[in-house]
Amino acid sequence: MQSIINSIVKNRNLIIYLFLSFVTFNYLYNNSSVHYSGFGKVGTFISGSTSSVYSYINSYFNLRQENNKLIEENLELKKYESQFIDKSNKRDVSESKIDKTISANVIFNSINKSKNIIVINKGELNGITKEMGVISSKGVVGIIKNITDNYSSIVSLLNTDLKINAILKNSSTIGSISWNGLDPRIVQLNDISLSSSIKIGDTIITGGMSFYFPKGIPIGRIEDYNNTSLEGYYSIDVSIFSDFSSLSNIYILKRTDNDEIKSLLNE
Amino acid sequence: MNRELAKEIILSLVIVLSQLLIFNHMKLFGTVDTFIYVSLFILYKTTYNKTYLILFGFLVGLIIDLSFQTYGAHTLASITVCYLKERIEKYSFGVNSTLPLAMIRGTQLTNRVTYFFLIIFIHSLIYFSLIFFKFEFTLTIFLYTLINSIINFIIIWVISKLIFDK
Repeated sequence: MQSIINSIVKNRNLIIYLFLSFVTFNYLYNNSSVHYSGFGKVGTFISGSTSSVYSYINSYFNLRQENNKLIEENLELKKYESQFIDKSNKRDVSESKIDKTISANVIFNSINKSKNIIVINKGELNGITKEMGVISSKGVVGIIKNITDNYSSIVSLLNTDLKINAILKNSSTIGSISWNGLDPRIVQLNDISLSSSIKIGDTIITGGMSFYFPKGIPIGRIEDYNNTSLEGYYSIDVSIFSDFSSLSNIYILKRTDNDEIKSLLNE
Repeated sequence: MNRELAKEIILSLVIVLSQLLIFNHMKLFGTVDTFIYVSLFILYKTTYNKTYLILFGFLVGLIIDLSFQTYGAHTLASITVCYLKERIEKYSFGVNSTLPLAMIRGTQLTNRVTYFFLIIFIHSLIYFSLIFFKFEFTLTIFLYTLINSIINFIIIWVISKLIFDK
């Protein structure tokens, strides 16, 4: 206590000076409009910059929440998009009738095997059934293979067992997409006859002739092709739009018309 | 001692009054304000209490502010030079800084000039900074400070000579 008093006595001139300066500034602030606005500007600058730093830091803590919000929004938009496509193209509803889109997060993913599997955090309890199509924001991902109550496994597009119906966007030539197990960025488009005209850069989309995907979901772009095959078909390399190495949020498409179509086929 | 103090109080009153009644109404060359009251802080004896000097500076500055309608610019400039006076003395006079009066005969002219000019310059710089109070006037502030400092230096130098030669 004594030392505090001593230091106050020792620095009394500084304390008095600061106190009188404060009084003077107060006097300036209250009486002069120039200084009032000047101090006001400094105040605004300080509060503005501290608030922006605070919100910048705070936004990091809310990223997960924001991300979830965006996923939900995206989901809504995808629903609207599919409805819009239905109406504007006046297609047969069976082609792209998506009743529900379920979002999920990837919890396991591999790209370095020949039969790659993805595991997601949604399962039967979330309304997922077998053989539902799975897409990301960029394009096709795979098909639901096995389900438990809370988890599902997906046969990835990078799985040599999977074959997906696909068409050339420009010419509607039908083919099928499969993977040869080599490069995780490149899949192969098969069954395109040499009579079709193709060029590098053509977009490949889903053909809609399967139970899994409606027509028009992007798959990839023609990277390279070879027409020297003796079988009469092109050998086409397609670079896929979805980046499987950084897959995080995916959407599962639930089609209501599958059962109807299947029942027809079984008859 | 009491007589000396009374003399100094009267002298201070005369200087403040002449500032209020005469120099406040003078604008040399249309731009230069004359602040002869700064001479009070310059001539304040080093042996006197520094705390009183700061309070004295506040009082004088406030009176000038009220008369000039400058809302505290003179006050802040005054208390700042009063607070810094000891350091300026040490800087200007070096080892002789503990002498009872700065204007004592025998000190070097350059020391005295430095001491006078520094106090006047710092006072003017703070005063004009507060008057203009905008970054875009930085050059103007320096220009005004320099011109005012030089003119005020001459006036205060002459006044102090008149007082002490007497």
